[in-house]
Amino acid sequence: MNIKKIAHSKIFTLLILLAIVIATFTILSNGAFLQPRNIRNIFQATVVVSLLTIGAGMLMISGQIDLSLGGIGTMCAMMAAFLMRSGLPWHLSMLAALVLGAICGAFNAVLVNEFNFQSFIATLATASIAQGFMAVISQGRQIDISDRTFNFIGGARFWDDLIPFSLIISLVLLVLYGIMLKNTKFGRSIYLVGGNADASRLAGLRPKRISYLLFMNAGALAALAGMLLAGRMMTSNTVGITNAQFQGLTAAILGGIAFGGGSGGMGGAMIGILILSTFNNGMTMINVPMHWQSVASGLVLLSALTADFLSSRKRTSA
Amino acid sequence: MSKSFPGVKALDNVSFRADGGRVLALMGENGAGKSTLLKILAGDYFADEGEFLLNGILQNFTSPYSAIMAGISVVYQERQMIPALSVMENIFAGALPKNKLGLIDKPRLKKETMALINKFELSIDPSVPVGSLSVAHQQMVEIMKAYRRGSAVIAFDEPTASLAEEEITVLFKLIEALKKEGKIVIYVSHRMPEIFELSDDIVVLKDGALVTTFITSETTVDELITSMVGRDIGDTYENLSRNTEVGETLLEIKNLVTHDVHNIDFSLKRGEIIGFAGLIGAGRTELVRAIFGANEITSGEIIFEGQKIDFKSPFDAIKAGFALCPEDRKEEGLVLYRSITDNVSIPVLSKIRKALILDRKAEAKLASTAVEKYAVKTPGIDKLVVELSGGNQQKVILGRWTNELMNTKLLILDEPTKGIDVGAKAEIYQTICDFAKQGIGVIFISSELTEVIGVADRIYVMRNGRITGCVDRSDATEEGILSLAMADKDETGGDAQ
Ligand SMILES: Nc1ncnc2c1ncn2[C@@H]1O[C@H](COP(=O)(O)OP(=O)(O)OP(=O)(O)O)[C@@H](O)[C@H]1O
Ligand SMILES: [Mg+2]
Repeated sequence: MNIKKIAHSKIFTLLILLAIVIATFTILSNGAFLQPRNIRNIFQATVVVSLLTIGAGMLMISGQIDLSLGGIGTMCAMMAAFLMRSGLPWHLSMLAALVLGAICGAFNAVLVNEFNFQSFIATLATASIAQGFMAVISQGRQIDISDRTFNFIGGARFWDDLIPFSLIISLVLLVLYGIMLKNTKFGRSIYLVGGNADASRLAGLRPKRISYLLFMNAGALAALAGMLLAGRMMTSNTVGITNAQFQGLTAAILGGIAFGGGSGGMGGAMIGILILSTFNNGMTMINVPMHWQSVASGLVLLSALTADFLSSRKRTSA
Repeated sequence: MSKSFPGVKALDNVSFRADGGRVLALMGENGAGKSTLLKILAGDYFADEGEFLLNGILQNFTSPYSAIMAGISVVYQERQMIPALSVMENIFAGALPKNKLGLIDKPRLKKETMALINKFELSIDPSVPVGSLSVAHQQMVEIMKAYRRGSAVIAFDEPTASLAEEEITVLFKLIEALKKEGKIVIYVSHRMPEIFELSDDIVVLKDGALVTTFITSETTVDELITSMVGRDIGDTYENLSRNTEVGETLLEIKNLVTHDVHNIDFSLKRGEIIGFAGLIGAGRTELVRAIFGANEITSGEIIFEGQKIDFKSPFDAIKAGFALCPEDRKEEGLVLYRSITDNVSIPVLSKIRKALILDRKAEAKLASTAVEKYAVKTPGIDKLVVELSGGNQQKVILGRWTNELMNTKLLILDEPTKGIDVGAKAEIYQTICDFAKQGIGVIFISSELTEVIGVADRIYVMRNGRITGCVDRSDATEEGILSLAMADKDETGGDAQ
């Protein structure tokens, strides 16, 4: 790869953007921003978003969108907490929650592939259903979790309290999925199906199967995300990871995964997540009120979408 | 005029003139720069250098809109209309007649559209959505739109590639009418007979540069081809080295029925090439898609190598040794925003893996071989397919379906030479014969009669979803096949039910 190509790549642009965000907040916070504890917090906040971004991002590359992941993850975490309270050991509870997440994903896939609903609408419906079930399981209250192992997985930190265990999990997954996406047949198929599903099918790929696998995978990863958060908080509450879902989508788009499908990757998404997390953390550091933070996040999503739109327009009219 | 793309000089200092009331044919090999030139005229691309004068006035287009305003219309192969809107709304888009209330004046709109339709002696319903029309009719609507705008220049980029013989006749009549009115017509096509039937002047491009210009009546097919290709290709069909040994039966279709085709019976031996002729919409594409597992089968049997098969999807068909090079390269063939490499390797991805990881070297070799075999004009195998010229895109799909890892036993080619230049066509015919020599059975669908007759050993003719006849090459004539392909009046009535 030559210098010119690197300078033109999206990753490069994103890294510069990240550097700008870091520099700005470092100055505004008089350096407090760069304290090791704060950096840890920034990374800690990426865990849930990363897991959602992997699932949602791959679906977007394949040309579909999943708005149910927040709902699914929250419900599955509640299910795990419920099962543990009922006396089931942590591993079986986690397994059950992961399977439940995959089943919810399969439900999405059925709606999209068998009934030909738009994934946008279908997953919105699933989100609502999942939220309803979550309320039924929890009876509207949080369920505290006393299992030590479960809480360790979500909340443990090593090396002077600086490296969260859950961060290691999410980074390993990001790397593994990234490699899978770029270097395996399955990964390539996701891009091809996103680029042209009809042509891919005629060339021997199985778009339907891929769609099922991706929805189920996203559901299971959402369940994991929900449980990691619950473990860290030692409780499963009714909001759970609902809000992280939009951050996941924003990060994916920011990282170059286009809405129409067919392009982007985990590398860009990872930097996208870091930018978002840094941005959110920085706003707290310099005491931007909660509500204004929400406004600012919305503006970031808008600018990510604008950039996506502009680059796709450039692509088609080149 | 000059225009460069990264790694390619698409147009290199080209100059020529076109006169009103004459048809100018723009000829050249795939990737010669014909479409690029038209896109510059249409204000889609901007020339790097050079100027364009219309009636002696220097034109400077900043957008497609400004080109339309200056009186240029380009009819592309891919339709540029709004499928959900009606014929009349499309024709008058941008200039819809309004009534006193400022609403669209439907009666007047319809009347003016009817006037146009009658002028060109067509039979199109002005109020149906354009998306529901045949490709040919859509094209005619587009021509009427260009005419309605009062365009002085009307250019066509391979308009006949998806048209049936009958429809071509109508199109030519239309072009003649435009010519009579003094319009400048620019016409791009790879079909030699058309050029000699239609054009008055010929401009030949090669690798972006002007080779020569001819007055059509003063040149010959051979001279034209030689100037395009740079050598004499001789008689394409006479020079084919054909397979002479035909093996046992490979494929047998018994009474096959699908949504679009009825009671299909035919068989194919190893090493044999059978052609399918017929008008567009005769059901040939539906038939082969059903055989390939892409369309549903209602009843009937497909027997391959002596065994009854029932493919659930193209995946199964490919595993069994089938390959189908589809007709519509943009919709069903290519993933346009991926590289040549990615497009070639799709059906054999499982075969270029080392422990689950894709072997990039093997993949690159596969793509390079395909690029060399069909002489795809590209600066490299990493080029996005969307940036290739039409004919070169076609070569990429051919390269995919005939790549050396395919293990094909049955090769189905649906209009494989669409948009391919004369020189490359001859080589593709030879490639098809070479496959037959290896014992592969070939089904060759084409709407160009000369080519089916020239290449296939046997030709099945289809009409309205049925096989209406079968002729050997030795007995085949264009008239004979055409009469089998065209419905007689009473039969159309029967089939319509
Ligand atoms: N948008 C683009 N980006 C990069 N290269 C392009 C682009 N459009 C055309 N080219 C290149 O310019 C050259 C000329 O292409 P053009 O489409 O004009 O050929 P053509 O004469 O129309 O060929 P064909 O007969 O195959 O349609 C080709 O090498 C093509 O790859
Ligand atoms: Mg072209």
